[in-house]
Amino acid sequence: MKKFINIKIGILLLTISLISCNDNLNIEPEQYLSTEVVISNSENLSKVLNNAYNDARSSSSYGGSIAIASELIADDGDLWWNGTYVDPGEFIEKAMLSDNGFVESIWMNGYDIINQANIILGNSSAYVDEDEKQTAEAEAKFLRAMVYFDLARLFSKPYTNGIQNTQLGVPLVFTAVLDPKNIDYPTRNTLEEVYTQVITDLTDAYDLLPSSNGVYATKYSAAALLARVYLQMGDYTNARDMADEVINNSGASLTNTFSGAFNNDENSEEDLLAWQVTSQDASSNYLNLFFAGSDFGGRSGNPDIDVEDQHYDIYDDSNDQRANFFYEAKYWCTTKWQYQFGNIPFIRLAEMYLIRAESNFRLTTTVGDTPVNDINKLRSRSTASTFGTVDLDIILMERKRELSFEGFALFDAKRLGNNIGTISYDANQLVLPIPLRETDANTNLEQNPGY
Amino acid sequence: MKIKSYFFFGLFFITSIIFAQEKEISGTIIDEQGMPLPGVSIIIENTQTGTETDFDGNYSIKAKPENVLIFSFLGLKTVKQTVGKKTTINVSMISDNQLEEVVIVGFGKQSKRTVTDNIASLTSKDLNNIPISNLQGALTGKAAGVQIQQINGKVEGGVKMRIRGVSTISSSQEPLYVIDGMPLINDDESVSDAPMNPLISLNPNDIESIQILKDASSAAIYGARGTNGVVLITTKQGKSGKTKISVNSSYGWSEATNTVKFLNAEQYVELFTEASANSYGADDLWLTEPGGYFDDMANGLDWRNGEVDTDWTDYALVNGSVQDHSFSISGGDEKTVFYVSGAYNNTEGIVRGNSLERYSYRGNLDHKVSDKFRIGLNSSLSKTQISRIGTDNSFSTPLQAIAQSPLNPAYLDDGVTPNNESTIYYNFLMQEYNGSWDVNITRAIMNTFAQYDFTPDLSFRTEIGYDSNNQLDEYFAGSLTESASTNGYADATSIQSDKYNINNYFTYQKSFNTSNLEVVAGMSFEESSRKRQYVAGTGFPSDALQTVESASEITAGSSSRTKYNFLSYFSRATFSLYDKYLLKGSIRYDGSSRFGADNRYGIFPAASVGWILSEEDFLKNSNTVSSLKLRGSYGITGNAGIGNFASLGLYNGSAYNKTSSLSPSQLANSDLKWERTTQVDVGLDFGLLNNKITGEVDYYVKTTNDLLLNEPVPGTSGWSSITRNVGSMQNSGFEFVLNTTNVTTSNFTWNSSLNLSTLKNEVTKLPNGDIVAERNLVREGETISSFYLVEYAGVDPDNGDALFYTNTTNADGTLDKTKTNVYSDAERIVTGNPYPTLMAGFTNNLSYRNFDFSFTFQGEWGASIYNEGGKFQSGNARYEDNQTADQMNRWQNPGDITDVPQARMYSTNGQQASTRYLEKSDFIRLRNLSLGYTIPRNVTQKFSVDRLRIYFTGVNLLTFTDYTGYDPESTYDNYGNSSIQKGIAFYSAPPAKTFTLGLNIDL
Repeated sequence: MKKFINIKIGILLLTISLISCNDNLNIEPEQYLSTEVVISNSENLSKVLNNAYNDARSSSSYGGSIAIASELIADDGDLWWNGTYVDPGEFIEKAMLSDNGFVESIWMNGYDIINQANIILGNSSAYVDEDEKQTAEAEAKFLRAMVYFDLARLFSKPYTNGIQNTQLGVPLVFTAVLDPKNIDYPTRNTLEEVYTQVITDLTDAYDLLPSSNGVYATKYSAAALLARVYLQMGDYTNARDMADEVINNSGASLTNTFSGAFNNDENSEEDLLAWQVTSQDASSNYLNLFFAGSDFGGRSGNPDIDVEDQHYDIYDDSNDQRANFFYEAKYWCTTKWQYQFGNIPFIRLAEMYLIRAESNFRLTTTVGDTPVNDINKLRSRSTASTFGTVDLDIILMERKRELSFEGFALFDAKRLGNNIGTISYDANQLVLPIPLRETDANTNLEQNPGY
Repeated sequence: MKIKSYFFFGLFFITSIIFAQEKEISGTIIDEQGMPLPGVSIIIENTQTGTETDFDGNYSIKAKPENVLIFSFLGLKTVKQTVGKKTTINVSMISDNQLEEVVIVGFGKQSKRTVTDNIASLTSKDLNNIPISNLQGALTGKAAGVQIQQINGKVEGGVKMRIRGVSTISSSQEPLYVIDGMPLINDDESVSDAPMNPLISLNPNDIESIQILKDASSAAIYGARGTNGVVLITTKQGKSGKTKISVNSSYGWSEATNTVKFLNAEQYVELFTEASANSYGADDLWLTEPGGYFDDMANGLDWRNGEVDTDWTDYALVNGSVQDHSFSISGGDEKTVFYVSGAYNNTEGIVRGNSLERYSYRGNLDHKVSDKFRIGLNSSLSKTQISRIGTDNSFSTPLQAIAQSPLNPAYLDDGVTPNNESTIYYNFLMQEYNGSWDVNITRAIMNTFAQYDFTPDLSFRTEIGYDSNNQLDEYFAGSLTESASTNGYADATSIQSDKYNINNYFTYQKSFNTSNLEVVAGMSFEESSRKRQYVAGTGFPSDALQTVESASEITAGSSSRTKYNFLSYFSRATFSLYDKYLLKGSIRYDGSSRFGADNRYGIFPAASVGWILSEEDFLKNSNTVSSLKLRGSYGITGNAGIGNFASLGLYNGSAYNKTSSLSPSQLANSDLKWERTTQVDVGLDFGLLNNKITGEVDYYVKTTNDLLLNEPVPGTSGWSSITRNVGSMQNSGFEFVLNTTNVTTSNFTWNSSLNLSTLKNEVTKLPNGDIVAERNLVREGETISSFYLVEYAGVDPDNGDALFYTNTTNADGTLDKTKTNVYSDAERIVTGNPYPTLMAGFTNNLSYRNFDFSFTFQGEWGASIYNEGGKFQSGNARYEDNQTADQMNRWQNPGDITDVPQARMYSTNGQQASTRYLEKSDFIRLRNLSLGYTIPRNVTQKFSVDRLRIYFTGVNLLTFTDYTGYDPESTYDNYGNSSIQKGIAFYSAPPAKTFTLGLNIDL
């Protein structure tokens, strides 16, 4: 009997000992940090900022989708879509549906970047070093403004200078969402409000950013982006002055050859900001994926976006390096996006010369230099013959020769009032639909007309 | 009366004096058909002495006249005979009637007669000889209210088992699988979006029985993981007596259940020439001119003279084969029994390049240390090798080849190198030619137990289980594949999952005069951990060097660890009074690391009652009603099938320009708690005409509250969704089971079993409004995952435009059925859903002399499938993809009445998402059929063979359906793990139709 009692006690002990397993229910994640740890520490916040750049570089935004949407929607025969993806096919057909996956990812990723910028701005008190804090805040504002600007350009009717642009813009969100309780269901702000915010953020960034900041946004990245924004708004004075500021003070210079500006592992001297792509980021470059031949990382359309005969008409000099910046796969490809792991230039100095030239011409001023000199500077670099005089058409054509396939097409068409084929520049179908998942999730969002 | 008693007493007294010594008893045991029964156990009551019948059903044993002999055999009614004066005792054993069956329940077993729960019970007989490499497949159509669906025809493909519908939106919809008391690892470890069946490494031949716990009363003992039902698997065990050797060997071949007809070259040229003319004018000859697009496609062959007409389906769907060989050795003595088995399965899929090879071993041992102390060990080891192919959404998956033009030659002139020069899309044949994707899974499952009986009433059992699932994926794509730009690509992923489990529980069982009581109480602890390593590289010196070691650059790599655990206490009491009033109650207290500290524990109670009416006087002597039991149950179960850290706000490491970054990956929600499902079940078990007809009728209502929901949030928040406890959902339905013994004669028997179940699912509360996931909708008042689509209205006879109903809501609430050709003017409506509302299974078993024959029909009604690939496959030549043959019915001239709009190349006309691509998927299928012949014993015995049976088995031999796609059960495997996106087809391969010949040998 004693033996039984011993066994019973043993079993009882075994059972009780397992009750203390309770402590084992606390298991910490091994691949994640908690929100509290991240937002209370400036080093961690800086890593969130770094991630905001990473997300900006993603194929959903500046790693391709935005530029591809712009180029394909604005295309009137320069390009042809050979690819199998439905979404870019809808762009070139100008028949976007509100469930277009590219449109959704541009929107979602854009606001993800904005939220990360807001996380920095809302928790910057964690920075002890005042300079670090100032730079982090300025970079966050730069990124936030950059995204709002492009969302506004894609999801709204064109901006018209000199009037109150009361047409629908995109919702402006300034509060970081770290807790489900902070999620709200915003309505769309007016386009005017969005542009005002973009100018405010960029001006702050311009004032506070250092002039040198590694591969990240600098004072002159902000100035250059401001020049781009003012140009889009038709505010040529400010556009000119900002472009002039960049040309004079940024220290950037045109690369010796046109090809030097592209397919680089490291930023070129012409880059005012470029998205960094390494061989670890294979899937982050949609420009390569869709514009390059399949031997260079492009998809099976080889390339999916090929350059058609019509395009070559814009080149007026066969010695122009830009006229020869193409290669043949199954169809013809632009060489701009040939290198799968090359950095993606976001703002090149060449654009600043074009903005200054156009603005000076329109304002009949010669701030910095004459339009013809600015244009010739670009032409000489590409070994094209120079002009004696220029007019607006020549300047704009030069702009196209210089910036094709870099995502300017749609925004220039809307700015300049250029119709696309028979479609009016301000037509509904040239504005992206608010993503269906977004109008489903937030009934306060008004859909764009035509969708 | 008195005289009679005295007489017997006297007789007993006298005989016991006279014959109180041992004598030899012998006899023959036969079954209902008069066939001798080998292996029947004969034991002298209250002793350890026993024997077993030989091949001919003969036995002999020494016994005293007062002894009682107990004749027992699994599945047959036990017979007791007092020896008395007899020296020969022949017994004819009859089959155990169904209500006397014993069923396994969580932490114990119970007589089916007194069970008050709804449990579907299947034995090895139901599973045997169905040549399906996964065990779930063999269950299809056999249990009421249980839907089993293999996502599509890939051999390793995920299998979805839905017990009484889907009772959750975002957490796991999978039942809990428990093998010999040990919860199994059931995580999909596929490295692609297409799920793999985690149970693929189990050998179905080792299974003795499967019990599916369907109602809350039975599942609540598994508390937080009971909501989706529990599948209890019991493996085979030896029986004391003669050592038995069984061998099963089968070989078969297979093909797709269905193919879809696509255009041939001539039709393709006709349709696309017309489509181009409609878009660009008949003068634009870019397709047909010399050097035009058709010439490009044909890659040098002359399509004009029919030199090329590729039927891509023939390349994608091929003839497969199935081989299954297994043996088992089982036996033992009174103290120790054992079962050892080995098996080999080799399945070549019907989708090109897809195959599976599995080696498995099992050893089960049970030993009585003493009368009071028992120990046992069940162990299994298996190795599975799978050749995988791409997901349904990849050009490398074979079935996407149907998109290629019939003008595209499959191979280059050499006949060996796949043509990737001129195909519209990447040619999948290149993957076979220049790539590989192999998965190796090693799985070990061990359960040991020790049981000690303190008294005959009280016992303690401890169980320790361990499950280890190791998977290695190796992928290679050579220099000719889609990875050409990097000169090849390879990756390797290794995953180690471990789960251990400890159960300790007491069982107290006591019979009183008029009542029985059983109490079970104990605890359980379970911990699961998972480690994963991954490395990828590009740039290979040669296509012959295919491992990452040869890569010139390592492009990605990672390793991660994660863990979760459960600590639980449980108790159950079962009480019966007068053997007719039944009562059961259970409670489980569960804690898990998956939930926030504030909501870590949950209590899951259940209760059930039963009344065996047939024991009451008014029915006791009925000739019609042989058994009748009314039962009802109520209980609460939970669902913890969410991520391991779903309540925490999380940031994970990432990088920009090779410097580290932190990426917000999850919003915190400390309020996250268990999902709770309340289920009420009312049922009736009946047996009529001496249980020749038996059956069950059940009605249940299953309500889930605090739904764990990945709720989409406005993207403007920077997030796309969060996990919250919101909303409610209800499933309700009838289940009906009818088993009949139609004929029983000595030569011919025929049994039938029919099951029917209905299912009504409704989302009853969704506070934050609709969730739309592409084509599927979750909306209050509707079935989960209802299709939400614009309604197609056919073709405008005047101009060939596709039309849609506007379906805007009129002032009176009706829908405006005006037709429009402007897609964006049409509103989406709720139209059908992906879950069947009626399911049925009908099984028949017949035997005539030495022939046996069985078959199962299975049917599902009420579900629909949306073909997401429809816009490409049946899109009136919008894209250059080959079209289904029905697209030749396109609109051509004003006045044409058709459903297919005018063909306009590269111009949208009806390809938008609409009901045009939605179809009912009702079907009836001859799920399996088997015909066997057992060679007469007098022949086989000459070779010392107990039994030799040859058989033919067929799976999916016939399918009756109006569905025009590949198969009414095949869906998009990329959505295999999606909880909302269901019923979508996208180049999804049909299942296999299999024909097998086999041989059973018992020695």
